[in-house]
Amino acid sequence: MYATTTSYQQNTISYAPDKETGTMDSTLALARAEVRRLGRNKRYSIFSVGLPVVLYLVIAPTVKHVTAYGVAYAAYYMIAMASIGAFSGALTGNAQRISQERKDGWVRQLRLTPLPANAYVIAKIIASMVITVPSIAIVLLLGRFYGNVHMELWKWFAVGGTIWIGSLTFTALAVAIGYRFVPDSVQPIAMFVYFLMSILGGLWFALSGFLAKIGQVLPTYQITRIGTDLISSHSVPATAYITVFAWFAGFVVLAVLAVRGTRETV
Amino acid sequence: MTQAAMGAPVVSFENVRKHYGRVKAVDGLTMELRPGETVAFLGPNGAGKSTSLDMLLNLRKPTSGRIRMFGSDPYHAIKAGRVGAMLQSGGLMPEVTVRELVALVTGFHPRPVPVEQTLKRAGIAGFAGQRVDKLSGGQTQRVRFALAIVGDCDLIVLDEPTTAMDVETRQAFWANMKVEVAEGKTLLFATHYLEEADQAADRIIVINKGRLLADGTPSQIKARAGAKRISFRLDRIDEPFILGLPALVNVEIRHDLVQIQSSDSDRTLYALLDAGYRPREIEVSSLGLEQAFLAITAEDDNSTAAGGHDSATEPAAGFARNGA
Repeated sequence: MYATTTSYQQNTISYAPDKETGTMDSTLALARAEVRRLGRNKRYSIFSVGLPVVLYLVIAPTVKHVTAYGVAYAAYYMIAMASIGAFSGALTGNAQRISQERKDGWVRQLRLTPLPANAYVIAKIIASMVITVPSIAIVLLLGRFYGNVHMELWKWFAVGGTIWIGSLTFTALAVAIGYRFVPDSVQPIAMFVYFLMSILGGLWFALSGFLAKIGQVLPTYQITRIGTDLISSHSVPATAYITVFAWFAGFVVLAVLAVRGTRETV
Repeated sequence: MTQAAMGAPVVSFENVRKHYGRVKAVDGLTMELRPGETVAFLGPNGAGKSTSLDMLLNLRKPTSGRIRMFGSDPYHAIKAGRVGAMLQSGGLMPEVTVRELVALVTGFHPRPVPVEQTLKRAGIAGFAGQRVDKLSGGQTQRVRFALAIVGDCDLIVLDEPTTAMDVETRQAFWANMKVEVAEGKTLLFATHYLEEADQAADRIIVINKGRLLADGTPSQIKARAGAKRISFRLDRIDEPFILGLPALVNVEIRHDLVQIQSSDSDRTLYALLDAGYRPREIEVSSLGLEQAFLAITAEDDNSTAAGGHDSATEPAAGFARNGA
């Protein structure tokens, strides 16, 4: 919460001696405000935290004695649900907001402040990284204590970290879509990408045969497979990392082009 | 003000152009703002006001020409926190309270103003706990103004600040604005309310079709358009003679009633009397800024446009003009 007097004093102290620190503080302050907003947004909580949790609670116990990608179904489904929460939060939440805030003129307003030009996008990315932590952590905790998934401690962090870093791919895409399209178009575009990536990426059900061949080109599939391979102690093929990185790099390029291309009109 | 006016310019436009394809939104604008001045920026819709302000605030790049702010490019002046601005197109962050938003933006400034002071000056302390997306149009407008004064800046730029405000709020707004200006800040505001420009500004800059049309004190602007309105009744009007009177800006004749806009009412009136006319019901009155503004822009439209298609801005038929 903002206690106005203290925030003023803090700013005076942090700004006066060092301009560079001040700039970083401003960006972090904006990121904090973004996190607070997302925390208050019911829609966001329902889709990126509530939905995966409920699905896991309902579906994980019904599928017994079945394996997927070489691990217990409860373990696969834990990774899938953590990914779906993180990715939907990063994609649909950010894209819609960025587009709307551009339309409303908040992005223009920020450009009139001493805040550095790219602080808005950086704050969005930081906020997105913060807000995906609980949606991943809650599902992993469910997997451990409700789905009986067991592995070494470092693997829990590696699995969670993979999904967390992987969600950046969708944050980059969200920036690209949010800057490129008006709010009315963003909703269907984001939903289309979300369903395509999640279904063909094997987040709703594990893929096999022909579907897996298609799915393996998608980052969603590869992030899930990195997770399951970690659990089953399989060595992760380099192509998995390459695929994820290629998508990430591609979306970053699109995002940079979108932000640059709209600089004139803000 | 005279002392302040001698300082280096706060803002300078040097032959600035902004073309969108064949549309010349701003077409060779040159102007200067000096420290401590309160300048009104006037022009009809589509005159290039918003585009000029956008370029000044680094939101659009000029096609050619140069804009300087405090001797450097506008971007650096803005990032150094020397400018507070409020645009028509500026928006607010939703889902936070007014106080949170003001505190957030205050935090971006190198010379922050205490949040409570900003809330008070902008007249928004009463609803500081409300969520930004639940405000009325007038309240939103005041929050946007608050964001322009959260830093202790040197230049304030406001684009039609009092639109959507009721009369009372508008008066309160200008009272608060006077406090800011009294601290030595330079103020540039675009407005549709000519009365506001007349009362608040030291200087008025009129632009039309992207070009500078007039630049001076409110009384100079009025003088330029013909400072006085003379009206009288006269039987058997000799129209060519009336149109040939000195210092005429604008003439309107209806039956026996003649209304003249003159840049020198004494000269006009004496010429009439010297010619032996004895008009009745003579009235000499000052011209308001609104009429001056309409006269100046109408004159410009007529001199540049081939046809007289924009008669809507002209006072009436039977209209004649003499170079003022």
